[in-house]
Amino acid sequence: MRRMKKRTLFVGGGALLGVILLAVGWQALARPYAYQGSLIEPALPAAEIESLDQHGNLFRLSEQRGKVVLLAFGYTNCPDVCPTTLAQLKQIKNQLGEQANDAQFVFITVDPERDTPQRLQLYLEQFDPSFIGISGNRSDLEPIWQNYFVYQAKRDTGSAAGYIVDHTSRIYAIDKAGNLRLTYPYESGQDAILADVRHLIQE
Amino acid sequence: MKTDYTPYIVRLVVVFVVATLIAIAINEGAYLFQKDRNDRKAGTIQLVIPAGAAQRVAQGEPAPGIPEKMSFVVGDVLEVINEDSVDHQLGPVWVPPGTTGRLVLKEANRFSYSCSFSPDQYLGLDVRQRTSFTTRLTGLMISAPTLAAFLFIYSLAIYPLKPREKKVEVKA
Repeated sequence: MRRMKKRTLFVGGGALLGVILLAVGWQALARPYAYQGSLIEPALPAAEIESLDQHGNLFRLSEQRGKVVLLAFGYTNCPDVCPTTLAQLKQIKNQLGEQANDAQFVFITVDPERDTPQRLQLYLEQFDPSFIGISGNRSDLEPIWQNYFVYQAKRDTGSAAGYIVDHTSRIYAIDKAGNLRLTYPYESGQDAILADVRHLIQE
Repeated sequence: MKTDYTPYIVRLVVVFVVATLIAIAINEGAYLFQKDRNDRKAGTIQLVIPAGAAQRVAQGEPAPGIPEKMSFVVGDVLEVINEDSVDHQLGPVWVPPGTTGRLVLKEANRFSYSCSFSPDQYLGLDVRQRTSFTTRLTGLMISAPTLAAFLFIYSLAIYPLKPREKKVEVKA
């Protein structure tokens, strides 16, 4: 009789523990994902980018639907921000593994006078040859800069290396439906961007 | 004959209880005394950038509705509503016109960011770790056993225990 009671208590306790664990697990899974970048609400339709890439092929942002696009603005003579950002994007692409097929990395110049397609190609090859590099005439690029609220201004430092360009350093994340969803300020954590991109790919 | 350790165990238990009570008193006292006024539960902090803010900042005036100093706790959600006609950057949050920028502050740190609607163009964000019940409990779990060990050794030096010997009955 006593043994029966013990067994009932044991089974009942186990079942109760199981129910509690299930409830806790369900709660954790049901919680919506919290993006780690700066979320834009409502998401804005990403403005079209139509220009020749570093290989001379026509690139259209609208043709990237179905892929998550990470977009950055910079220039090949950039001493600090751009190499750091591109190295971070390379790491993110590597960490994505097979999921990288569902992502596109785009770098648009803010220094069209010096960044020819050939120069952009050589520069991007140092990071990842699959990265898309956009250059062109200033008049072609200005509407893109405006649409993405990109600040860019040449500054003469008196250096033999020439002028530098002060520019917006944020990374833009465009979802698979072509909406501008998130931005990341310079030096955002790589793991944070990676987690968000993974989530955008799985959406 | 076997050595009876019961007096040591009793002493250890008593000392542990006393040490825990002392640790609770010291920890909680220090917590109440030094409590940060910004320490609170994480929540949503909403800021509105009014229309014309960029123009006012360009004229050197501070943007209304934006506090000069901002302190947050980990887990806070910073929500910036941009009612202006131009984009704005509030620290790590970039907000195109007519949208809301939202950021979950996940790390405790002191950030210095550019800010488009601060006259000096810079903004300091202070994100602190909240002192939760778990934090205080962790502190207690570290301090109580340490204090107990110290008190136990100290008590043995002040009031030594004489080891008792237990008689073991041996059945013939």
